[in-house]
Amino acid sequence: MPAKKLIAFVAAVSLLLTGLGSGEPAAASSTAAPYESYNYNYWEEATPMPAAYLPEGYITGKNLGIGEFLEPADMHVSSSGRLYVLDTGNQRIVQMNPDWTEAKVITTFEHEGKEDTFSNPSGIFVDHDEKMYIADTDHQRIVILTPEGKLAGMIQNPESEVLPEDFKFIPLKVTVDKANRIFVVARGVYEGIMQFDEDGSFIGYVGTIKVKRNYADYLWRLVSTKAQKAQMRLFIPTEFSNVDIDEKGFVYATNIDIGSEELIKRLNPAGQDVLKRLGYYPVAGDVYFRRTTGPSKFIDVKVLGDGMYSGLDSTQGRVFTYDENGNLLYIFGGKGNQLGLFKTPAAVEMAGEKQLVLDRGKGNIVVFKPTVFGSRVNEAVRHHYRGEADEAETAWEQVLQLNANYDIAYTGIGKAKLMNQENKEALTYFKLGMDRKNYSVAYKRYRREVMKEHFGTVLSLLLAAGAAFAGFRMVRHWKLRRERNHETGF
Amino acid sequence: MKQDFKFPLYVILHPFDGFWDMKYENRGRLRVAAVILFLLVLAMILQKQYAGFLVNYNDFRRLNSLSELVFVLAPLLLWCIANWSVTTLMGGEGKFRDILMATSYALVPLVLIYPPMTLFSRFMVQEETVFYYLLNTAAVFWFIGLLFVGIMTVHQYSPSKTILTIFLSVVVMGIIVFLGTLIFSMLQQIAEFVINVYREIIFRA
Repeated sequence: MPAKKLIAFVAAVSLLLTGLGSGEPAAASSTAAPYESYNYNYWEEATPMPAAYLPEGYITGKNLGIGEFLEPADMHVSSSGRLYVLDTGNQRIVQMNPDWTEAKVITTFEHEGKEDTFSNPSGIFVDHDEKMYIADTDHQRIVILTPEGKLAGMIQNPESEVLPEDFKFIPLKVTVDKANRIFVVARGVYEGIMQFDEDGSFIGYVGTIKVKRNYADYLWRLVSTKAQKAQMRLFIPTEFSNVDIDEKGFVYATNIDIGSEELIKRLNPAGQDVLKRLGYYPVAGDVYFRRTTGPSKFIDVKVLGDGMYSGLDSTQGRVFTYDENGNLLYIFGGKGNQLGLFKTPAAVEMAGEKQLVLDRGKGNIVVFKPTVFGSRVNEAVRHHYRGEADEAETAWEQVLQLNANYDIAYTGIGKAKLMNQENKEALTYFKLGMDRKNYSVAYKRYRREVMKEHFGTVLSLLLAAGAAFAGFRMVRHWKLRRERNHETGF
Repeated sequence: MKQDFKFPLYVILHPFDGFWDMKYENRGRLRVAAVILFLLVLAMILQKQYAGFLVNYNDFRRLNSLSELVFVLAPLLLWCIANWSVTTLMGGEGKFRDILMATSYALVPLVLIYPPMTLFSRFMVQEETVFYYLLNTAAVFWFIGLLFVGIMTVHQYSPSKTILTIFLSVVVMGIIVFLGTLIFSMLQQIAEFVINVYREIIFRA
């Protein structure tokens, strides 16, 4: 009995001690994130990891003194840091200064001498000259406004031989490249993203989504009657859901193609998908999901620079950030009512190192700030992208101190070591990061190195062995002959 | 003794004569067969654990040598039982002992090729791993060929009848597994029933 009591006492004390010792900081970090922070490891297991981004606060219309946002559909941060929100429900554009403290509202613009308004606009883009491009959906046009809110151009009723006579132009999302070419995602257009030149005339489509044949469906079609076939859904490609553009002029586009592994595409000027998918798993959001919940649906993509991009998933309300090679860096966000969770996420943006998510349902913008872990990861990825191997290595090592289970960090260090010709060390790191391709490269170099170094030794050993063997054979031969001679009596 | 252990090497190179001698000249030894099976299990375990990183896709956290043993030996035993069951009904001359030995002796190529390939794979780069896969596949085909000849010789069958019995053996293997699980689940239900009756009586009493 006393022994039992003692054990119980020790257990209680140790519990108390751990509670006192490490309880407070642990509690602080776990309560701050309203979502579970995780990532997928090489074995495709969802493993916990430190949060990379934490919610910092809201931007609401009320705080800006312009009345609550009503179902805002899109937002954009311009290169000068101004935040533009397309407040669809109130049919207005809210233009904020880089501190998000003051707001200017644009509800009307002058068009052919008359006041003109927006009708259910759903997409906004701001180019380098702070010119606004608004997809004015129900008015079936793209409105281009100067920073002051004056009309600078308009695209409507595109005409081309490719387009049918009764074509209805219903623009949803818009993006513009440096050469002022305009890329538009339009409703009911399955041919791809519509591309317009700077004068607003239709050039053509880019990035058609291929229809994949589903053999089960094909079999069903074979055995079904004409009436049944008419009831079936058509095999038409999916529409794109959103677009963004990177600094090199490549268009990033998302689509909601269930079952596809190419939910995010990076289109080169020729319209081909050149997104690198070299990660452990496809660039498709969650690897594991409940069947009732369904896979991730990307409704927005934001290029973060240096090859990184974030995809916004509407199924679980999560933001997935990938690096240029398609490695999943971190995941944040979720669905719910707390700060940092969304009701109906609509758009993701970047402001400095912060990421913003527009919540259409709650009518606000959630500001996410990188944690130490998140900013170290960003730093490392950016250094690596720019080819600064040593800086990247240091950053990755700091990442590993915060999360020793971060596979990508091991691969990152391995790549840096490989660049510095430290092949043997690189091997260890690639093995830890389960990167077979780079391991093979490092091993090839290391093997050559070792062989070069020991070539002399190996060759002399071989020669010595050969000589010894020959000598042995000669001696044996000579001995045998002597014995034979002996037997025959010479 | 030494001859007994050299004999499998003769069999894999001269299967027709070898398997004949194994059965009709009494050159086969169950002892040797057991050693071959043990070495095969060892080779498999070594391959899973120590094959080079570039060819080893196993999750080391889930490697279990005991389950490896079961996964190699159980199907083999099942195969031998199934083949014996089929061939006794189809006029095969082989005894269970012959089938077991023929199968084990046929596995020798795997025992011979797997360990050195495991070693070499540690010094390979990505482009060279094709040789690893090629030789391992060759070993498997060699095994299948030997098994075919072995079964044919041991039972004194024609080639077509051998193919038929091998096919039937595979079917029978499936049936055995099915019956096994069926009996297992039925026993479980019977046990459950008895326990429930007992509980009921306890509660009433």
